[in-house]
Amino acid sequence: MSFSDIRQRYLQPLIWYFLLAVLVILMMAPIGWMISTSLKPETEIVTTEINWIPQTFTLENFELALDRYPIGRWMLNSVIVSVAATVITVFLDALAGYAFARMTFAGRNILFFIIVSMLFIPIQITVIPLFLVFSQLDLTDTYWALILPVGANVTGVFLMRQFFLGIPGELEDAARVDGATALRIWWSVVIPLARPALTAVAIITFLTTWNSFFWPLVATRTDEVRTLPVGMAQFLSLRPGMAQNTQALGLSMAGAVLAALPPIIVFIFLQRNFIEGISQTGLKG
Amino acid sequence: MRVLPRTRPVPASVAAPPRRQFNWTPYLFILPYLIFFVAFRFGPSIAGLGIAFTNWSAIGTPEWIGWRNFEVFGRDPRFQAALENTIVFTAITVPLLIVLGLAFATFLDQKRRGRDIGRVAVFVPYVVMSTVVGVLWTWLLDKDFGLVNVYLGREIPWLVSQDVALYGIILATVWWNVGYNMVLFLAGLQDIPAELYEAARIDGANAWSQFTRVTLPLLAPTTFLVLLLTIINSFQVFDLVFVMTAGGPGTSTLTLVQYVYTVGFQTRNFGYASAVAVVLFIILIGLALIQTRLYRRGYSGVEA
Repeated sequence: MSFSDIRQRYLQPLIWYFLLAVLVILMMAPIGWMISTSLKPETEIVTTEINWIPQTFTLENFELALDRYPIGRWMLNSVIVSVAATVITVFLDALAGYAFARMTFAGRNILFFIIVSMLFIPIQITVIPLFLVFSQLDLTDTYWALILPVGANVTGVFLMRQFFLGIPGELEDAARVDGATALRIWWSVVIPLARPALTAVAIITFLTTWNSFFWPLVATRTDEVRTLPVGMAQFLSLRPGMAQNTQALGLSMAGAVLAALPPIIVFIFLQRNFIEGISQTGLKG
Repeated sequence: MRVLPRTRPVPASVAAPPRRQFNWTPYLFILPYLIFFVAFRFGPSIAGLGIAFTNWSAIGTPEWIGWRNFEVFGRDPRFQAALENTIVFTAITVPLLIVLGLAFATFLDQKRRGRDIGRVAVFVPYVVMSTVVGVLWTWLLDKDFGLVNVYLGREIPWLVSQDVALYGIILATVWWNVGYNMVLFLAGLQDIPAELYEAARIDGANAWSQFTRVTLPLLAPTTFLVLLLTIINSFQVFDLVFVMTAGGPGTSTLTLVQYVYTVGFQTRNFGYASAVAVVLFIILIGLALIQTRLYRRGYSGVEA
């Protein structure tokens, strides 16, 4: 066996597994530590000794976190808002994206240009007037305030248009010859073809809405409406050096686990759709 | 004298349908979206640009004050700190996110066992919501009990010292977002035909020159997109700052968006906050224009 054979067969895989292990450990360590800490009693937490596996397992941090903070309510609000916003957005974007891709009408290009150019205006410019509008309507601190603005997102329209530009026109032509109306063609011919694009837009919209922070922070005041990211920010009152509560660390790690695990589990199941959706858009919000 | 236009023959294609009805259908398709777009994005954005030129606040009636908000920047140390911190943050975070994102993507693009575990591990932090990342890293960076210091064997006052607080936030940001860039780079790598590597190998190119001669040039469009997105996101850094330091200690981690939030929604000085946001807007547009120009030039250079 020559040296290059040995290198190919043994050395390269060895290096690969070593680097892979280092990468996985470094990236997962914070999450592992979060889970481990959340299961420890306070005496084990406040120490510089590192124990990755708790000596005694306890759920008291979770009980305390759920007892002190309406985490369930925040989560419910997040689910309601994200689902409603996703449904509305997918519907609006599939309609508009189709028209921009497959129909000719006066003002089409200029309209589309104006829509896409909004991507460059940071939402902080938009948020102040938006807040004033919702205040005027007396709709701040309602689900409406959190759901409706998502429908105006630009990425989804852009994505849907890209997708519809790429599908062949024969099926639509056939349906048109049969005398089907535009809306009928859209619903029964085009939409069934658009499953991958609809899924991508749905995933992206859901994820952005679920994680959205700035606007919900500004638009909500009470726990009845507050979403999970905004609620989680309340744990900042437990910041080290600020709160003298020795149980703070276990408590906030328990809260973090409760908020972080559902999306992580969903991600691991939907991994492929997820990554496809993101690499197709390359855009957030 | 003006007879010509009347007698000029009408082109056939226009003349063909004599009195076709105006087609409303496309407008009905875009109308629902357009209502949302105008009400919640376009309208407020234009209004926001306008409010920047007023002294609108919680008290009193707003007046048009021209550029006065922008003149105040010159003697507002908090604004200057915010601008400087945002630029420093971007200048450090963006190269890290690009280089690491590309390195991880190249590494995990190899057809070897276990690469999916690697991809999931790198991407998972991105799925965690920003405020949870903030709470988590606040503890990881704790001076006494934080994992980072314990392993480093040091007592770095990460988030409580003016000198290092921003670096603590940078560390958390890189961990959180690097997987997103990796996924974009992985998608770009899929589009490079395998034959090119084959050809390079036959020509005797080693792994490194394959990377610099084949991967990097062909990945240029992806890199351009990722760079643009990373810069835009970095300039708008807010969530982690809000949770981890709220801009402190002092103004050492105050960023532009954090300042917009403080001035706009705590002090309720809407006019001045909008002006700060407009500065951000101008920076973003400027960067996008510069980058597009550089990219075009580089691209035509390659083709020529």
